[in-house]
Amino acid sequence: MSLGDNALVDILLLETLLLYGAITGAVYALLALGFTLIYGVAEVVNMAHGALFMLGAYMFFAFSLAPKNPPLGIASPFALEPGLALIAAMIFVGIVGSIIYVLVINPVIKDVLASIVVTVALAIVLQQAVYIEFGGTHRPVLPFVSGSTIILGVTMTYTKLLAFGTSLILFAIIALFMWKAKIGKAMRATAQDREAAMLMGVNTTRICMLTMFISASLAALAGILIAGSTAQPANPQMWLTPLSMSFAIVILGGLGSIKGTFIGAFVVGYAENAVALLIPGGSFLKGAVALATMVAVLLIRPKGLFGKRIELEE
Amino acid sequence: MAAYVRRAYSSFLTHVIDIPPRLLSLLFLSLLACIPVIVSPTALSIYFLGVLITANIMAIFASSWDLLVGRAGQISLGHALFFGIGAYASALVLRYAGLPLWVTIPIGVLVGTLAAVPVGFPCLRVKGPYLALVTMALPLIATGILYYYRDYTGGEQGLPVPRFFPFIQNLYHQRVAEYYLTLLALLISAIIIYKIVNSKTGIIFVSILDDEVGAKACGINVTKYKLLAFAISALFASLAGSLQAPLIYLASPASFSLNLSFYAIIITIFGGIGTIYGAIAASYIIYFLDQYILTIPQLEILGTKILPLPTVWHPLIFIVVVIIFVVKWPRGIARFVVEDGLTELSKEREIEERGKHIWKKYKKKKQEATESTAEG
Repeated sequence: MSLGDNALVDILLLETLLLYGAITGAVYALLALGFTLIYGVAEVVNMAHGALFMLGAYMFFAFSLAPKNPPLGIASPFALEPGLALIAAMIFVGIVGSIIYVLVINPVIKDVLASIVVTVALAIVLQQAVYIEFGGTHRPVLPFVSGSTIILGVTMTYTKLLAFGTSLILFAIIALFMWKAKIGKAMRATAQDREAAMLMGVNTTRICMLTMFISASLAALAGILIAGSTAQPANPQMWLTPLSMSFAIVILGGLGSIKGTFIGAFVVGYAENAVALLIPGGSFLKGAVALATMVAVLLIRPKGLFGKRIELEE
Repeated sequence: MAAYVRRAYSSFLTHVIDIPPRLLSLLFLSLLACIPVIVSPTALSIYFLGVLITANIMAIFASSWDLLVGRAGQISLGHALFFGIGAYASALVLRYAGLPLWVTIPIGVLVGTLAAVPVGFPCLRVKGPYLALVTMALPLIATGILYYYRDYTGGEQGLPVPRFFPFIQNLYHQRVAEYYLTLLALLISAIIIYKIVNSKTGIIFVSILDDEVGAKACGINVTKYKLLAFAISALFASLAGSLQAPLIYLASPASFSLNLSFYAIIITIFGGIGTIYGAIAASYIIYFLDQYILTIPQLEILGTKILPLPTVWHPLIFIVVVIIFVVKWPRGIARFVVEDGLTELSKEREIEERGKHIWKKYKKKKQEATESTAEG
């Protein structure tokens, strides 16, 4: 590369980093919010979160318009508009999450190891089920909107901006819901003390189920947004990266803390993009750097940056 | 000499034959040792031996996970880290220092064991779900580093490793030799792990699992014993890793994969967590199920083909079984057999022995009484 090229890259580097980091951070915040919600309320480390993310991308693919996916050769039996397909996929994954919670997670909720093992097992079950149903080939999830614009000299596709906006708005809605709505208050009560909440007349199992519904549908939405905005093909093994990202974020911010999740997501988003842009061949180190940041933070603060529980955040 | 033999024989009788679980494991071991003699050298039996070799390796790996998690209570979801370090350390030394395989495997084990110290230190500060997630992150970081230095480590291709017995021409005989090697490694590591578990150190591990604060209050150096648990467990995991690399002719990045860690967890939980024998027994059961029950028999119900199942269904079935086990039957299959079935047997025998003893005493007393009356 000549010197001139280098200078050109250097000029745009900061802007690229700024924008891409913000977009990645916003989508990761959405992804990790579900993970932190279910931990905060039910104290379950939901390892199946990544699998629900993957299921979301596949369900969107299954529900969406058939002509939009011509190279696949199969017509979707539902053939919904993208917006409807998105909502249908979210509801479907949410229901799957609730069923999983009631059948499998609730009986072992007291045991940390058992709940982790069960949810890991569920992730593999979902992976195999998707593999059997859709096959192991990569399925492209096409973006909802086409076209792009130029911001600060960097080309931005509309899907990326859409993902950014949707993530931030939904994050705000969920946070407000947790703080203001009656069900949100019940969730926080359950998080604070399960038995006491039960005595106050809160149906804690139903609250946890509802939390799982919200968490799973957020995972599905994040899956659709990430798969759509980065033009990353969906495949049954895609659950591992988002899972490791979401726990890097959530642990960085403190398990069960909404504020911590928001900040952790942006830290990880910027760290990941910085490594990918600044180090040659750094895209292999993307995940490693995020996770190493997490380990480093834990060494200094064993409960994360904001190791506070949901119920105490006002 | 004869006295030693007699003593060894009598201690064998009392310590092995009289204890049903040990007798069962002796019979199982002799069955495993006889397998290459029983089966005829066909292509199918080469495959069969390959499956058993994998089961041996996984048994070492799963029992090392069981020692760390089931006994010392340090939840580790990334045990494949040590497996991979063992495999790659021996392969790298072999590649760049040109040492023979028999030297590189102990080096791999040593590096894996030493790696437990820097890995164990961050893990000392965190507990519960945090610990689980940190340990799960470590092999992912290792995979990232592996891909980044692809010029040295081979990236996705892995590093080629020569096989154990290149001088044996016949493939079947080669498999038999590898089978006995892995079986021997499994036997030695199982005995060592069993001894550690039943020693004072093993009891301290359990005390840390039960109540860490309580253990600390009793004057136990918890930090030291946690690191020790990590080191012992890493030793056997890296042994499994460095043994597996020459068997598949490759140190592959798959040895860092989460699937491997989860497979060890699945095996251990299926067998019964906290029992070392459960992990070993379950690894044979699972491989046997996978390769024989689900693949070879033909079964049709109502005109639809039930067996053999397509291979994509196998993990699904195991995992559903594991979920049912964890939720409904958390004690595991081997523990159920040994503790509820066989221990009852040994208790009866004990009562019988005690009965005999009492009967002898009674007879003696009676005799004494008759003698005294006769005297009187």
